[in-house]
Amino acid sequence: MSSSDEHWIRSYGRDQFPHVLVVLGFALYPILLGVLNRTPVASEASAFLPGLTFMIIVLYMGLFAISFDFISGYTGYLSFGHAAFYGTGAYFVVLAANGQVPGVPEGMPFMITMFLGATLAFVVALAIGAVSFRLTGVYFAMLTLGFAQVMYEFIRHWGYVSSNPTEGATIPSGADMSIGVPFVDSLNFAVGRLSGDSFENVLGLGIDISATMTSYYALGIVVLLSYFVMQRIIHSPFGKVMIAIRENEERARAVGYNVFWYKMGAFATSAFFAAIAGALFAAYAGGASPDNSFYFLVTADALIMAIIGGIGTLAGPLFGALFHEWFEDILSTESDGLSTYLEQLLPESVLTAEVAGLTINDFIGTFLDGRAPLYLGIIFVLFVLFVPNGLLGSIRDRLGGTVSKRIPAALERYRR
Amino acid sequence: MSFLELEDVQTYYGESHVLQGVTLDVEEQEIVALIGRNGVGKTTTLRSILQLTPPREGTIRYKGEEIGGKDTHEVSNDGIGWVPEERRMFGYLTVEENIRVAVKPDDDFEAQREYVYSLFPALDEFSEKEARNLSGGQQQMLAIARGMVGQNELLLVDEPSEGLAPMIVDQVVDALETASEDTTMVLVEQNFPLAMELADRFYLIDHGTVVESGSTEGVTADDERIRRYLSA
Repeated sequence: MSSSDEHWIRSYGRDQFPHVLVVLGFALYPILLGVLNRTPVASEASAFLPGLTFMIIVLYMGLFAISFDFISGYTGYLSFGHAAFYGTGAYFVVLAANGQVPGVPEGMPFMITMFLGATLAFVVALAIGAVSFRLTGVYFAMLTLGFAQVMYEFIRHWGYVSSNPTEGATIPSGADMSIGVPFVDSLNFAVGRLSGDSFENVLGLGIDISATMTSYYALGIVVLLSYFVMQRIIHSPFGKVMIAIRENEERARAVGYNVFWYKMGAFATSAFFAAIAGALFAAYAGGASPDNSFYFLVTADALIMAIIGGIGTLAGPLFGALFHEWFEDILSTESDGLSTYLEQLLPESVLTAEVAGLTINDFIGTFLDGRAPLYLGIIFVLFVLFVPNGLLGSIRDRLGGTVSKRIPAALERYRR
Repeated sequence: MSFLELEDVQTYYGESHVLQGVTLDVEEQEIVALIGRNGVGKTTTLRSILQLTPPREGTIRYKGEEIGGKDTHEVSNDGIGWVPEERRMFGYLTVEENIRVAVKPDDDFEAQREYVYSLFPALDEFSEKEARNLSGGQQQMLAIARGMVGQNELLLVDEPSEGLAPMIVDQVVDALETASEDTTMVLVEQNFPLAMELADRFYLIDHGTVVESGSTEGVTADDERIRRYLSA
């Protein structure tokens, strides 16, 4: 498609055009939110747009869902125990921050403990895979789920983690959870819901960057890099063999591939990035508990995100995560959702009006506030039934190729 | 010593005893057809050679070496290619990627690609198309091409004419004849005249054993020993 006399930067830039757009969108979003907050539509903006704290969840859950898609969407092996790796990454950095990991001195930079945790998850995946890849289909899914549940139960009762292991462990205040280049202070940015770095009057431009914003950008860079590594693998010969295994494993064997080791490699790689996601989560949240890391419903969230975004599209799950968290946000009161908005918008007389024994106010409380999981379940079913390829998968089918390949070609046509 | 020798091969699917002692041999550069009714074990014979359904008893020697007990990918890397029934593409890979996947890592991909496109110029035209979007005939071409790029010396071809229009079948026959110049071939084919036209020798299989064999020279479906087994 690209002519050879064209400068490679131009042709690369054109191929990456949709990626650039998405990255720009994410990068400019906090600024957009900040601007909107100073306009008359401020209340609409905070009601209908996801807040920054939700966007941070989009980042790390998006990465987790992408890693789930890497193995499940590309080899066809559903990793129902993927939370085990997310949990491994999360607990590793928390324990390391507490100086509880043998051989890892207290004060080891987060970037290094994150990498070590991910490497541990890689090894754990090889162990789980060695057993689970003896089976296929639903049996594989059940075996991985079983392993994850064993780890969940173990971690829930492992006194070494903390005095109350069912509640998990926290990162001590003062621990340095910075994203950046290890050992170079000026290139490190502390992340955390409460303890992150904040900057006032950046470069004398009168721009303030809150701790949340620092975390958002710092996590965003790690997620972006992780995505690109996985994307390169998918487009490498190794990735083509993964797809061949998904399409027809028997045939892939008969072509001469030792599919067992390809599956192991793909599984361990996806576990590595799941652990990165878990580590980011723990660093931001300031700790981890069995129920928000090792529990099987964490995998279920990734599954929902992958299905909505498009399984087997790699980038799709990020959009699935965006949809998921946006929905959670507008249906919760945590950061001024739909119900808060309606309560402010509607006059008192309407709110207290009774319809079939319920006031409008009760109705909002019953059917909107915090009801996201209910509607997400319904949406999930609708997607499985009517949009099986998910958001990105459907767009690709419509375009007849990946967005990166098709959009520039389409634009080219219009330019002539 | 023959190129490929099967001796008393017994293969089961679970408890079902499908191959009840198949013995046959194939010489280098030969095309051998396996014929017989549906479900008598022709495809299972190919799957047994590939170790996709490993035999429980008997020996399979390829170029004098026992290959029973090897893994499928090892058998493949020994130079045995497979053109499966119903073609079974990697549907979401493009034509080119399908070929690339079939080229062994230490082979020269460019050279192999040129070779395939010179045999099947039609594939060159669709190289960027995903395999699932090809027509049946094009998919069959690709399946045969993919069986050939591994520098395979033995090609196991399963029902190449199945479900194809007569005109397309002619193209596939041409493709197989071209392929046979470089490789030995075991062909499973329901279309009796086609099998006789392509093959040098045939084995007639019934109830999991070889019941007749010989040269295809002058053999027609009216032949008494054939008709007995082929008519339903």
